[in-house]
Amino acid sequence: MVEFNIERWQAWAPGLECPASWSRWAAAPWPLEPADAQPAVDFLPAMQRRRLSRLARMAFAVAAPLADGRPPMPLVYVSRHGETPRNYALLAELAREEPLSPTQFSLSVHNAFIGLWSILRGDPSEMTALAGEGDGLEHAVLEAAMLLAEGAPAVLLVVAEDQPPAIYGPWIDDVPCPYAVALLLTPGQDWRLALEPPSADAEPSARPHALELVRALALEHPQIRHSWKSRQWNWQRTH
Amino acid sequence: MSRLQLEIKQLIIDALGLEDIAPEDIVADEPLFGDGLGLDSVDALELGLAIQKRFGIRIDAEAKDTRKHFANVDSLTAFVEANRPAVA
Repeated sequence: MVEFNIERWQAWAPGLECPASWSRWAAAPWPLEPADAQPAVDFLPAMQRRRLSRLARMAFAVAAPLADGRPPMPLVYVSRHGETPRNYALLAELAREEPLSPTQFSLSVHNAFIGLWSILRGDPSEMTALAGEGDGLEHAVLEAAMLLAEGAPAVLLVVAEDQPPAIYGPWIDDVPCPYAVALLLTPGQDWRLALEPPSADAEPSARPHALELVRALALEHPQIRHSWKSRQWNWQRTH
Repeated sequence: MSRLQLEIKQLIIDALGLEDIAPEDIVADEPLFGDGLGLDSVDALELGLAIQKRFGIRIDAEAKDTRKHFANVDSLTAFVEANRPAVA
């Protein structure tokens, strides 16, 4: 079991860019659908922005508002599928026996976002990139809680998933739309996350865990349960 | 501006994703890297690849002169002019 406070949160999905729109969605969720939209991230200079994938743009869009005005802090980034569009582009170049784009190659790795974040924000703090399963969010929270326990005054947690290229359709069924969620976690007891044995009636969440959490935060629900395989995660707000 | 020079400027813009820049913003005798346009080492690799693909010129990243050829648009144009395979 780990305890922490969720000081602030920020989320982005196509058409859902401000807290008010997330509140409307949380109250009566409509189906999230694939889209080509991406966040503007105008706050980054054009020369720095130009190479960012949608995945990185989404991660910047949610993380930056939570980090602005604060001292450097560790960041835990989690994505299940990572830079699928870049990886697919590279594989296609290989198949055509063409040389690989150095830009695509260097930014296709799973920890590309934390590297970019560290460079563009000038933040040398410890940063971690995780690849999780359907409950990657919860594993990232564990990682962040351990950093808090080590004495970090705050940890930024970022979950991001991009819509995969159509060819991955048969294998990737848990990304209804591109989305990113950031949490500013601080030491405290507001929230408790525990791993429990699965209950008999446990069903997998209808939506990605991070979006279910956003909904609970927007509605101020005191408790949510997320099941993934044999793991059941119990989120409780203690006050 | 020669046609080849314009083509090279456009190639730089497209290959490196310089969305806010037009060909006339790139000054032909100003440095592409560092000061000047402000490109970096990843751009150098990407631009080398783009030149190779477009003009069929093999570029040796280790060769002493490569850095000189990529100094600015003028030097790059001269390099491409001198090395592009003859068109039948």
